[in-house]
Amino acid sequence: MSTLPQTTRGKETPAAVRRHTVIMGRQDFLSVVLRLIGVEIYKVRRRIMSKVLSSIAILVMLAAFALIAAISLVITVEPPSTFLPPSCALARTPTCLDHPPTQAELTQAAQAKQNALKSVSAPLRLPDSLTFSVGITNTIGLVLLVILAGTIVGGEYGGGTVRLIFTRGPTRTQFLISKIGAILVCSALTVAVLAVIGIVVGALANFITGIGIDFGFFTGTWALHALLYLLIAALGLFVYSMIALFLSTMGKATAAGVAGALVWWVLEGIVGQVLTTIGFFNRGPLGDFLKAIPDYFIGNNIGALLQNQSQYLSPDQPSTLSDLHALLVIAAYLILFIGLSWWISERRDVTN
Amino acid sequence: MSNEGIAVGRQMYYTTHTNITSCATNRRISGSSDEKHSTTIKEMVVTDILPEYDTSTIISTSRLTKAFGNLVAVNDLHLQVMRGDVFGFLGPNGSGKTTTIRMLLGLIRPTAGRAILFGMDNAHQLSAILQRIGAIVETPVFYPYLSGLDNLRVIAAMSGMAQGKANDTRLAEVLEIVELRSYEKLAYSKYSLGMKQRLGIAAALLTDPELVLLDEPTNGLDPAGVIEIRRLILRLSSLGKTIFLSSHILHEVQNVCNRVAILQKGNLVKQGNVSELLRSSEQIEIRMNEADEAQQALQLLQQAQGQGLDWIANVTIEANRRERPVVIVGAPAQRSAEINRVLAQNNLFAAEIHPREGNLEELFLEVTTSAAQAGGAHVGMEALAETLAPEMPGGGKRGSR
Repeated sequence: MSTLPQTTRGKETPAAVRRHTVIMGRQDFLSVVLRLIGVEIYKVRRRIMSKVLSSIAILVMLAAFALIAAISLVITVEPPSTFLPPSCALARTPTCLDHPPTQAELTQAAQAKQNALKSVSAPLRLPDSLTFSVGITNTIGLVLLVILAGTIVGGEYGGGTVRLIFTRGPTRTQFLISKIGAILVCSALTVAVLAVIGIVVGALANFITGIGIDFGFFTGTWALHALLYLLIAALGLFVYSMIALFLSTMGKATAAGVAGALVWWVLEGIVGQVLTTIGFFNRGPLGDFLKAIPDYFIGNNIGALLQNQSQYLSPDQPSTLSDLHALLVIAAYLILFIGLSWWISERRDVTN
Repeated sequence: MSNEGIAVGRQMYYTTHTNITSCATNRRISGSSDEKHSTTIKEMVVTDILPEYDTSTIISTSRLTKAFGNLVAVNDLHLQVMRGDVFGFLGPNGSGKTTTIRMLLGLIRPTAGRAILFGMDNAHQLSAILQRIGAIVETPVFYPYLSGLDNLRVIAAMSGMAQGKANDTRLAEVLEIVELRSYEKLAYSKYSLGMKQRLGIAAALLTDPELVLLDEPTNGLDPAGVIEIRRLILRLSSLGKTIFLSSHILHEVQNVCNRVAILQKGNLVKQGNVSELLRSSEQIEIRMNEADEAQQALQLLQQAQGQGLDWIANVTIEANRRERPVVIVGAPAQRSAEINRVLAQNNLFAAEIHPREGNLEELFLEVTTSAAQAGGAHVGMEALAETLAPEMPGGGKRGSR
């Protein structure tokens, strides 16, 4: 890089007046970034791939709720006698029936049927439908969003359109921020839309069960925790998308980002299980160390944040990891991935 | 200032700059390889040049260099493009044209040197510079899933233009210019190569830029498309735009450009006004009735060259299309009568004597071949010094060639 003095300052060639038909927008940093985010979202919206991915996510969500509804329907149409203890003629167990069922036993069976139905169909109703739909979003939504993130970054490098952007005026930092902003918006929209679809479809399917929804749980505090729960779910998608962003920036290809982020996600689960198992059998400092490693994995920390909120939404135990620990770990990952992406983007020569 | 005044001013600028460049070049060549010394010269060159810098300079590069590992793609490049120039940027494949354009646009960071556009250093004020440039770099690439119009909408927003329908008139204007209006709703993926190229030009013109940088804009265009681009360049030039045109089609460049620079293996081997450069390669063709007369004329003119006719650059014999020997004299056209007189005084009477106008193609082949023979990229500075010499006042170097 040239270290020559800036002696041309104050000698800038005056800009010529543009044609009256050219109407320029605001040129401050934030306005440019917001305009670029708008462009990114417009491009995402116009891609067929985005429509296919959204359709897949919605179909998976519908299928999951349809499965719960189908199981609930099976239970609903079953006669209450199905829930009686088995006849001693068929299976000799301590609770088997050696006589024709009495009225009390039939009532008990009807109650058991109702309990089973209530338990199985719980994900169809709030508050469980919220956690259930977020659970599905955390898997299928994550896969789809990683594909999207890899494509909107890697596609620019792979297709060569990156030079189109870099020669139009935005800085590389603005380019990166716009991509991150677009991914953030997509993460939030994915979680919000899929959660709403899940809750609505669940509520509709719940009519099969005939079980009413008790809105006794709904308070201001619950709504706040529900919002936090959704935001954490969006954060989870966003963090893995940042891995895709980093890897597709580094590899200048969509495949690098998508494959890398998904492998990371899958490996986290497997490696976490293996380390915990080894740590369980290997008591002592090494075992403790190995068991502690998964506490610094993205998935475990997002899981901890979700679990710490879900205790306020439906009866659940809080995670062993604190919110602060989880947030710090997530922040460290975000700084690492975004920082490296920025560094690569700033230093790279665009030669394709 | 009158047009004439501007022209004189520019000429003075070019001359001064050429002197400084050549001087610095020679110093570096003759100086030691000591890093400290080299840096001193580098700083001196810039500070020497910059006082001459005026606001009509659109592009000014100083010692611009890019190396990819051991490969020096662009070496010590000094370019000047003035407001209103149609500047042809020539060179064989791999000579560093696209690398230079990418450095000007900030896509590639130079290994050394600097590029100043509109008086701003592109290492520090790239964003402001790019807002005044429309560019096509190699084959234009757009989003295949968007139509031509939607692609332009996206580019308009990226270029800092207001969003929404505010710029619909401008979008229609540029599509009209490149005659893509009737295909504006067709997906870009369905465009032909020529249509893609034209959309690239539309995108470059979108913000009504002051400088239009076109890297091989006629690639993929049919002859009618090439003519259309030529007309477009001339029209843009008449509107006061500065055009920086990189092309392989020398005939096109000769038709539209007022100034050219020629690169060879990353080195600038020629830069100047097209008319002046062509004049420097002017030749006079003499046909004699007999072959032995041609040989005598050759010897006579070679002797005359050595005896004071220093406006004769060289004398050779070639076979014309009918396989007859013709004497080729490197000299300005207005010297034809004088040559005829010299021949007649020695009882040699030419059957035909006429000027052979130089063209860019010949000039290009001449300078690129001689630069290649001079030893490639790493010894390119000597070639640069040599080839710049004819442009130096006094022409001292030229006489010694």
